[in-house]
Amino acid sequence: MFKRLIKYLMLIFVFTFMLSTKVIAQQTSLSISPPLIEAIIKPGKSILIAYTIYNNGDPVILKPYIASFETTAEGKMIIKDAQSPIRFSLDNSDISLDQPFFLKTGERQQLLVRMRIPEGAAEGDYYHSLLVESQPPPMIEGMSSSRNKATIGANILMTVTETGNLNLDGKVILFDLIPRFKTNFFGKTLNIFDSSDKIPLVFVLKNNGKNMFSPQGEISLKGNFGEQAKYDIVPANILTNSQRLITATPSAELKIKRPVSLVISGFFLGYYQLSANIRLGVNTRLLSANTSFIAFPFKFVMALISIIIIAVLIIKKTKKEEE
Amino acid sequence: MIKKIFFVFILFLTVVKIAQATEMESDRYRIQMGNLNSESGTMTSTSNVSLSTTLGELAAGQFTKTGYVVKAGFQYINSIIPFTFTISNTNIRFNELQPSQPATGGANLTVSFGGAYKYTVSTIAETRFQTLDGAKYIPDTLCDAGHTCYKNSANIWTLAETEGFGYNMIGEDIASDFTNNTYFRPFPIRTLGDLPEVIMESNDVTLELVRPYTHQSTIVFKTNITPVQAAGNYQAIINFIATPGY
Repeated sequence: MFKRLIKYLMLIFVFTFMLSTKVIAQQTSLSISPPLIEAIIKPGKSILIAYTIYNNGDPVILKPYIASFETTAEGKMIIKDAQSPIRFSLDNSDISLDQPFFLKTGERQQLLVRMRIPEGAAEGDYYHSLLVESQPPPMIEGMSSSRNKATIGANILMTVTETGNLNLDGKVILFDLIPRFKTNFFGKTLNIFDSSDKIPLVFVLKNNGKNMFSPQGEISLKGNFGEQAKYDIVPANILTNSQRLITATPSAELKIKRPVSLVISGFFLGYYQLSANIRLGVNTRLLSANTSFIAFPFKFVMALISIIIIAVLIIKKTKKEEE
Repeated sequence: MIKKIFFVFILFLTVVKIAQATEMESDRYRIQMGNLNSESGTMTSTSNVSLSTTLGELAAGQFTKTGYVVKAGFQYINSIIPFTFTISNTNIRFNELQPSQPATGGANLTVSFGGAYKYTVSTIAETRFQTLDGAKYIPDTLCDAGHTCYKNSANIWTLAETEGFGYNMIGEDIASDFTNNTYFRPFPIRTLGDLPEVIMESNDVTLELVRPYTHQSTIVFKTNITPVQAAGNYQAIINFIATPGY
């Protein structure tokens, strides 16, 4: 009887263990490649770009569509409905833009996006995103819930030009340090750091032209003893009518996270000059900006003075006690 | 003996999984991308078209083509890595809402942006937090009295009598107004003409050896009702939009 009971219990255990399914939250995980396309194209021509969408999550229904975007003066993207002369379509035989398609877990789908610039399209820059939107999960009956859907995008930066000549124009908005102390000395601003401080530099560039550009150049540091260091500017795109914080490499890290272009670390002593020399494109004028700082070992000197004072006091006290 | 056979049969049925292979791609198009280079066969174009992409071309710089200035993408970062966005839970269940008993639910948002070096995640609710017919809704949270929050600015929401629907963010790259887990914002709502609000953003040019490409945060949804809230099941569809940098 006992053995039979054990067998039944084992059977129930096996059923429970093997047939029960885990309750796992439904997950949406999408990838897109390539994330960025830049094209310089003549009116009347078209290009075909192959995007790949990966589904790394649960099975999902996806809808691809095109939106245009613009940037704020600070460079933030604002996605809008597509409003441009550029005609987008899919060359896939079985999928169209704005039409949903199904993608299983672990599967990928190639989207062949054709971009056609009509004859007579106005010259200039057109910024778009290919967006792929998932369908939210079905509603749960009998309870309140929030259903989430994911939209993933890839950016398309397109310059339409008849002749290939680009209108590139930039302006340095800010090239300055964030010093420990700042003071005016005969009308000149002095940036003062401790010798062991990290030197954070902020460099903001504005695009005043009609086409986007990616600045190329370097920031150089010159000391009063002839020492010199160079930092390459990262050629990130600056879109029309926007500005962007330019970054340079190699850069150190600040303890307090804040947006800076470059953080220079080391031991500094004396007067230093920082200058940026950049070009916006081939055969464009050189843009320059300068700033400077003074570094002095305040902490070291203060510590030294403190040690000397303490030492003198101790010596005096010892002498008094001896007397 | 029969029992043993039955037992083995049950085990067999429950353990063995069926493996099926399915080809989801079109017969007409299957383009292999062995070399993710703009000069490879991945892109086709008519003549007089120049492309500058971040498809992994190793040589940075610019080059010219007959009659045209052609850019070959800036290759300061490896862009072969796809841009990936994950929501860990797409169905946030609040069960049956009770007055003055806030209900919460969370999901992890993960972005892997190796090929993009910069990204933005924005959110927008498609509608209000409303019943299926849209006749009744739970209002957007205004947060606690004296601590008003806005769609782009979080504030404290801890009191049990404060009604509404909103969200908090914790983790990497979140907006700075989410000071801690008591700070909430209401969702922007598309049907009210709102624009998506940025909830995660990275502006850094980050190399993998400095900081991992995969960044994660947690969004916590919260709702609370007053005793006068109409009975019903309330639903919202929240869209999370992840876009890479440019």
